[in-house]
Amino acid sequence: MRFLDLLGMSVSNLKRRKMRTFLTVLGVIIGTASVVIMVSLGIGLNGLMMEQYSSYGNMTMITIYSNAYYSGEADESSFLTDDTIEQISALDHVSSVSPMLRADVVMKQGAYYCSTNITGVTREYLETIPLGQGELAAANDDTLKFYYGNQVIRWFSNEKTGESYWDKGEAMPVDFMGKPMFVIFDTNSYWQTRGGSTEASVKPPKKYMIETGGVVEGTETDYNNYSYEIYCDVELLKQQLKAVFKKNPIPNQPTNSKGKPYPYFIYEQIMVFADDMENVTTLQQQLTDMGYQTNSQMEWVEQAQQTYGMVQLVLGGIGAVSLFVAAIGIANTMMMSIYERTKEIGVIKVLGCDMRNIRNMFLMESGFIGFMGGVVGLCISYGVGYAMNHFLALGKMMMGVDGDISRIPFWLAGGAIIFAILVGMLAGFFPSLRAMHLSPLAAIRNE
Amino acid sequence: MVDRGDPIIQVKNLYKIYRVGESRVHALDGVDFTVYKGEFCAIVGPSGSGKSTLLNMLAGLEKPSKGQIVIDHIHIENLSENQLVEFRRKRVGFIFQSYNLLQTMNALENVALPLSFRGVGKRKRNEIAARYLKLVGLEKQMKHMANAMSGGQQQRVGIARALAVNPKIIFADEPTGNLDSKTTLEILRLMQRVVREQNQTLVMVTHDNNLASYADRQFHIVDGKITKIVEKEDADRALAGASADGVTVGGTLDVKMEEPEEAMPAAQTASEQNMEAEGERE
Repeated sequence: MRFLDLLGMSVSNLKRRKMRTFLTVLGVIIGTASVVIMVSLGIGLNGLMMEQYSSYGNMTMITIYSNAYYSGEADESSFLTDDTIEQISALDHVSSVSPMLRADVVMKQGAYYCSTNITGVTREYLETIPLGQGELAAANDDTLKFYYGNQVIRWFSNEKTGESYWDKGEAMPVDFMGKPMFVIFDTNSYWQTRGGSTEASVKPPKKYMIETGGVVEGTETDYNNYSYEIYCDVELLKQQLKAVFKKNPIPNQPTNSKGKPYPYFIYEQIMVFADDMENVTTLQQQLTDMGYQTNSQMEWVEQAQQTYGMVQLVLGGIGAVSLFVAAIGIANTMMMSIYERTKEIGVIKVLGCDMRNIRNMFLMESGFIGFMGGVVGLCISYGVGYAMNHFLALGKMMMGVDGDISRIPFWLAGGAIIFAILVGMLAGFFPSLRAMHLSPLAAIRNE
Repeated sequence: MVDRGDPIIQVKNLYKIYRVGESRVHALDGVDFTVYKGEFCAIVGPSGSGKSTLLNMLAGLEKPSKGQIVIDHIHIENLSENQLVEFRRKRVGFIFQSYNLLQTMNALENVALPLSFRGVGKRKRNEIAARYLKLVGLEKQMKHMANAMSGGQQQRVGIARALAVNPKIIFADEPTGNLDSKTTLEILRLMQRVVREQNQTLVMVTHDNNLASYADRQFHIVDGKITKIVEKEDADRALAGASADGVTVGGTLDVKMEEPEEAMPAAQTASEQNMEAEGERE
């Protein structure tokens, strides 16, 4: 028997008892909708949490830092250097590694100044920064350019009046893109000369005009990962520092016991990026085993995820109960339908309808009930989800974060319908076996 | 005996024994007979004679206790349920007493239904169904739903449905049992004509000698045994001189055949006869 003929017979049988079919489907609708809504809430909560965490920093990033950098102890083996980066890059699941080379600077533009530090990172890392103004310099461009975080402007103050963002409530009129920025790398000398020191040996430091490459997107109050930092290319920064300090020790760089600088750069931190969020934990464990101090968002996320996994399970379980009840309803309907059609089944059996076809016909009937319930239930879930997201703003209420609390990804939508069909067919399985084995003699008997 | 061509049904030493409590009831007690291709046979017997059991076994709906049934060179007594269904699908047409049309379908769909079990496409099977509906004189009622038709019309649909699959053999189980006498005659004549035209083999079960006389051969069965086989020539001879009226003919036949338990008074009217038939079923 052809599939379409089977389907046609099944559907016309369902149409025969519209009210009963409707009620059975209604059960599946409620069941599917409750499963989908509950799971979508679980996904939404999880997603909100992840968004919250990823707003604190890149989720695939593992930060390595060394105590030696701060304590200044001359334990060379614990320094984070280019060798370390090379070593880590060779590990599995590492997509990229970037050093963080910090240098203290003082920046000046007209009457406005700011004392801060800049961070040298790889070009790969620079490429991930979302720039609102300007654009990343070409790879072969070897002039040092700064990329400012969008909140950096708040740190500038007026040198003469002492006015700053913090007492005026608005940022100083510093123009990163339009006007030149003067940068002093030798901050020690700067403060000594500024402090009214009379020591003749201290010469006022040289000012360098550094081009602005770009500014991170967002206003001065928007927060993102890159808001607070001033970034530049690490290799160009090294060249610049060497040119400025020559043989003299560079501030922020450890010195050996004799107060001499090391012949290489030592990084404050190294950022390791895993190729996938799932590999962060193993990679981090690996790095810890290698003796590094590490830190990643995933540590926190995993704990939270476990909690939300439980929540999701409980919510899904509640939904599943109603779907289970619906399945019982389907089984009941199918049994009734088979009792009613005992004679008819006998007739088609006498006429030579294959037993498997009879079974499939009933399986299709119950599967079709599941399908209709699944589709309508899914539509209702979308509706309820939309209402929760837009009219109730539950996400804001429960997590304090803007975002959708009910999320129905494609796999959930598709899975829900397939699951509903499967539940229908499973519920109809034993009734359909019963139909298959009904005696054809029932057709011959005359009532 | 004259050469009748290919045997299509061969029944050898067939037994069906039911166990009722301690005692055993022989529904069929050693039945032997052969039906040839193109024949219209009737199995005649009073109720409880085992004729329905015989038909059920011929159609593979019941298993014999002992003996052989060979239909179209296939021993059906050994087939599994699934194989029996396949056997029916490929070789058997069935006409029921209570028509057994599917109520959700119209005449055309009902006739096309067994074709769909064979996997025939919709267009093709509707074409075939329409042809057979025309053959049984229902070209105007093709789109009528089953329950919107009279009994006679429904049985015509039933006949068309049995013919549509072009089976090797057609079984009819009291095909006119639910019809009035006028329609009974129409249906019988239709079956007779169609079987001849299509060169089909038809085995009809009836309790009515009168109806059986339309068959080429009649197997009379009493208490699970075939007591008598009547050829058409004999029946025709009996018919000689009688009027065309079915009742009168039937009456004449019954008397001739000397079966007092089945015989009906010749004076009985058609409607009374029909009512009695109905009463018997209930």
